[in-house]
Amino acid sequence: MTNAPGEAILTVDQLNVFYGSFQAVKDVSFDVRPGEIFGLLGPNGAGKTSTLSAVEGLLKPHSGEIQVAGFNIRRQSLYAKANMGIQLQATSFQPELTITEIIRLFAGIYGISLTHDRLQALLRDIKLDDAASKRFGQLSGGQQQRVSLVIATIHDPILVLLDEPTTGLDPQSRRQLWERIEAIREKNHAVLLTTHSMEEAEAVCDRIAIIDHGRVIATNTPEALIEMHRRDPDVIAASRKGKITLEDVFIGLTGKNVRA
Amino acid sequence: MIQPKIPNPREAFLSLIRADFTTQWRNRRAVVMSILVPAVILVSWKGLVSKVGGPFVISISLTIGLTSIGLMGYAISVARDRDKGIFQRLRATPTPNFFIMISRLTVQLVMILLLVACVFIVGYRFDHIALSPGGYALTFATGIVGGALYLGLGQTIVGFVKNAETVSSTTRLVYIAFLMLGMFGELNQFPAPINRMVHWSPFGTVRMLLTGSMDPGLWTQDTTIALFISAAYAVVFCFLGIKWFKWNAAGA
Repeated sequence: MTNAPGEAILTVDQLNVFYGSFQAVKDVSFDVRPGEIFGLLGPNGAGKTSTLSAVEGLLKPHSGEIQVAGFNIRRQSLYAKANMGIQLQATSFQPELTITEIIRLFAGIYGISLTHDRLQALLRDIKLDDAASKRFGQLSGGQQQRVSLVIATIHDPILVLLDEPTTGLDPQSRRQLWERIEAIREKNHAVLLTTHSMEEAEAVCDRIAIIDHGRVIATNTPEALIEMHRRDPDVIAASRKGKITLEDVFIGLTGKNVRA
Repeated sequence: MIQPKIPNPREAFLSLIRADFTTQWRNRRAVVMSILVPAVILVSWKGLVSKVGGPFVISISLTIGLTSIGLMGYAISVARDRDKGIFQRLRATPTPNFFIMISRLTVQLVMILLLVACVFIVGYRFDHIALSPGGYALTFATGIVGGALYLGLGQTIVGFVKNAETVSSTTRLVYIAFLMLGMFGELNQFPAPINRMVHWSPFGTVRMLLTGSMDPGLWTQDTTIALFISAAYAVVFCFLGIKWFKWNAAGA
């Protein structure tokens, strides 16, 4: 099974996820196309990470279909996973291993032969060439995120999933991360990400899905979402600067209350 | 067009096992502690060797070492890594789930071989316990079977129990229960049906195996049955613990 050019790289269709009797994701459907950065936005506990976990094959949905590069994530899991790169919300590698050892581990898992020069280039690229022999547990949060992104893209996947990738990054690291994400887009590969930063989503994402209480309540380009909702009373009430932003639309649609 | 290709499983497994060995090496203090317990027993029981026999002392030391590595050390380290999300990150790669666990178990089996070797060396140096070459070879082999059984038991506990603290307390409880069973079982302090249960329990079969293998001349039909039962226990426990392993410490 392979994708035809122009077809969606990721298709999520009528996804439902339950934790016991609690339904975390309700009939969620969307697709991510080649050369697209797709943002999944929502308040805490809205169902973003559950949706992403189902796409990653880390949890079994109650119902619904997920196809990655034409491969079903449940039935052809290894093929689907080989075509995606993943950065989880909590960076999670053996803290006893050095950066070099972790990169070599994942290169081996993805069947990538890594020469010394290539490894050095990867480390230089994330400005960690001096820290190659440092253990993962000794790195700062931002450095760990950078290692995590290198590993997510080490096999040049056609789809990259990033769960709140800018959390804990300083402005320089954040800028570098966005440059790397845009480089993925330029290769006509796709990125699905979750973020709490509306400014970043507005600036970088080609399309956005706003998810709340497990349901997708709006999907479109940031500009189209702002245009569609600029006259909603809740959006106007949320606006503080006179000019309607994506954050105003987000608060207007999902409410002002802070979620647990 | 996207090529339907997945990485070479052998290469993926070798990468996992290399990383797991490196991690184990960096945590070598924990391994030393696991080996220290049976070594202390051997040294402190020096006076008992002439009364109960060298093979008996060695088999008790090995059983305690195997339970502390397989049951406690392994299960607790897996539970902690699960809490850190290490397994979830590996599961998101195109690696079969059982590779992740088999790699861990393989590293622990090597640690068990190391434990058996250390017990032999300490037993020889301090208690002057010497086995025949066949006895040494057979004990290494049965040590692996016994170790696999306790690792399987540890895998089952950590597979079914999600919380790391509960895993820790459960393994301690089972460890103490095994020690008590062994102690009272040896002294025939239980009624006959319970004694039979202890005899064929994971603790009893491993003890029987180790005692029988140290002196191949004393290998009986019961020892052969114990070998098969121990292997079956190991396979069933590992299967249950991997098949129904709770990969995520949080959520479902």
